[in-house]
Amino acid sequence: MEIPTVQTEAYLRLLAQYERDVTAYVHSLVNRREDAEDILQEAKIVMWRKFSDFEQGTNFKAWGKKIALGLILNYRRKEKTRATSPVNQEFIEAVAAEIDRRGDELDVRGEALQNCLRKLSKPHRQAIVWRYYEDCEVAEIAERADRTESAAYRLLSRIRKMLAECLEREIGVLNHE
Amino acid sequence: MNNDDRIDQAIEGQLSDAELEQFQRDALADADLMTAYVEKSSLHGQLMASSDDLVRLLEMDDPVVVSTPKRWFSAGIAAAAAAIVATGLTWIFVEQKSGPKIKAVATLEQAEGCRWAGSELPTAEGSRLPAGTLDLVEGMATLKFDSGATVTLEAPATLEVTSAMRCRLVEGSVVADVPESAHGFTIDAPDLEVIDLGTRFGLTANQFGGSHMMVFEGEVEVRKNGEETAKLIREGHGFLNGAERATMNREIERSPAAHAVRARNGWLNVSTAVGAGKDSFMRRGTDSSMGAEPLMMVKHTDLEQGANNERRGILTIDLQNVDRTQISDAEFLLDVEPSGFGFSTMVPNSKFAVYAVTDDSVDRWQEDLVVWENAPAMEDGSVLNKITQQVGTFQVLRGASAATQIQISSPELSEFLRNDANGLVTFLIVRITSEHNTSGLVHAFATKEHPDAKPPTLSLKLK
Repeated sequence: MEIPTVQTEAYLRLLAQYERDVTAYVHSLVNRREDAEDILQEAKIVMWRKFSDFEQGTNFKAWGKKIALGLILNYRRKEKTRATSPVNQEFIEAVAAEIDRRGDELDVRGEALQNCLRKLSKPHRQAIVWRYYEDCEVAEIAERADRTESAAYRLLSRIRKMLAECLEREIGVLNHE
Repeated sequence: MNNDDRIDQAIEGQLSDAELEQFQRDALADADLMTAYVEKSSLHGQLMASSDDLVRLLEMDDPVVVSTPKRWFSAGIAAAAAAIVATGLTWIFVEQKSGPKIKAVATLEQAEGCRWAGSELPTAEGSRLPAGTLDLVEGMATLKFDSGATVTLEAPATLEVTSAMRCRLVEGSVVADVPESAHGFTIDAPDLEVIDLGTRFGLTANQFGGSHMMVFEGEVEVRKNGEETAKLIREGHGFLNGAERATMNREIERSPAAHAVRARNGWLNVSTAVGAGKDSFMRRGTDSSMGAEPLMMVKHTDLEQGANNERRGILTIDLQNVDRTQISDAEFLLDVEPSGFGFSTMVPNSKFAVYAVTDDSVDRWQEDLVVWENAPAMEDGSVLNKITQQVGTFQVLRGASAATQIQISSPELSEFLRNDANGLVTFLIVRITSEHNTSGLVHAFATKEHPDAKPPTLSLKLK
């Protein structure tokens, strides 16, 4: 396949700009990391293939999310190891609609997140690194932190709750500036 | 189980299939539960998407223990990547797949006499490099990108590694060797972009603006910033953007007092900036004088004589106010500066000779008139033995930093200074080492016009 340089560039530029948004979107909808990453991989390929359909100047992020959502819904349907559930499908669509509805608001949270992470205590940051950087399962975090599995799980819940509260405050501050 | 717990467990994959389905049904029926879930799951998504930043952020404060991430390539992804090899865009996906955790895109293959300035990337030989900036102060470093492209960085230089197929030269010189497999490898400079089409080329980004590029083999495409179309440059040709001579013609502000005679521990420093001192260089094939340049450029080639590939330095230091008979020891000092021309890769460690001119009539040469054709103490490009004397040699190592200072000291030098009659001492600086490619490095030394480096200086110990 011959690829015109100009188009490749335009694609890469847009992808670089919005990749994080699409990545966050897919992970919000698909909780199993492996699944989410496979879908993201596929999404970037499909986006590239369909890039000639993309209208320059329109919303690349929304376009990319739409492609990713299509893949997520199909991914679930094709999955054979687990029983497919129509409820699951409906649920994903509803979550996607809600994310869409709150789009900008959730994006702002992404920016504020860095500040909030900074405010976490050292053990809490360590747990976040284990969970989100090293991709540890709860069981493994439990082992490393020398806690029971349910305690480790509660720890993660608590950290997420603290982050959510911090985000509220951060965004409040942002809105008043 | 309360709803908060159920949300967390759903996100963590801790619910059984039946529990999950029940949770989803409940969320579909309960708008508040759905809202709460979306808040948490989008936070989860954002954390996933920013794991790269995450670890950097944490490293800023107390160090946290981080071991290598476990997951690399799942089989499905490898297959997907393989399926798109044909598109030639494999790297985009593969490279991003191996991230965002480690995302190494290149290996630091060789680091020859390297000194680094606070680089954010590892600088040990053999290190795997993710995207980030390398800041080379001294030496030469060779990076092998995972695409197959090899880039040799010549100090002083700052390079931003972007991906296996792309890097950005912030400042300095690189020579890139790009095999067929890395066709399309791109180097960005501040003012242009060089896209390789399977070749070997050199690129210099100058801190004063005006990048230039030279193709040694094959061909490349060059696109200037703000221009749609790229220009094809073939083997043996170069591309020069904008103000090549910006560095040469820029206004030099200097305080005359800064380089005046100074004593240190019984040593007396006299530079070309003092009295009747002067410094310049001559370039074969050029008939304008270089006396006002901030750099003395020196080059030598044994290759086929091109018009402009020979340059020599000339300078005179005014010792009329010094009792020269009392000189017991002397050092000749030169500051090495980047010339912004040519590539170290094409020149080995280089040897230079310093000739003292013994004929005092030569001391009358004029900065604004001296050119190759009328250069004193030279004839047909050869230094005249009759009226010169070699008082020392020195070496500039490949990739020597801008901070390098050359010191030459010899009995011949002291002797020459003691015997000088008119108080003006003139030297020629000649490179002995030839380049092995016509794009070899042009060495440069600061002159008295240089804004911050030291001009050529004699340091004298008096009895």
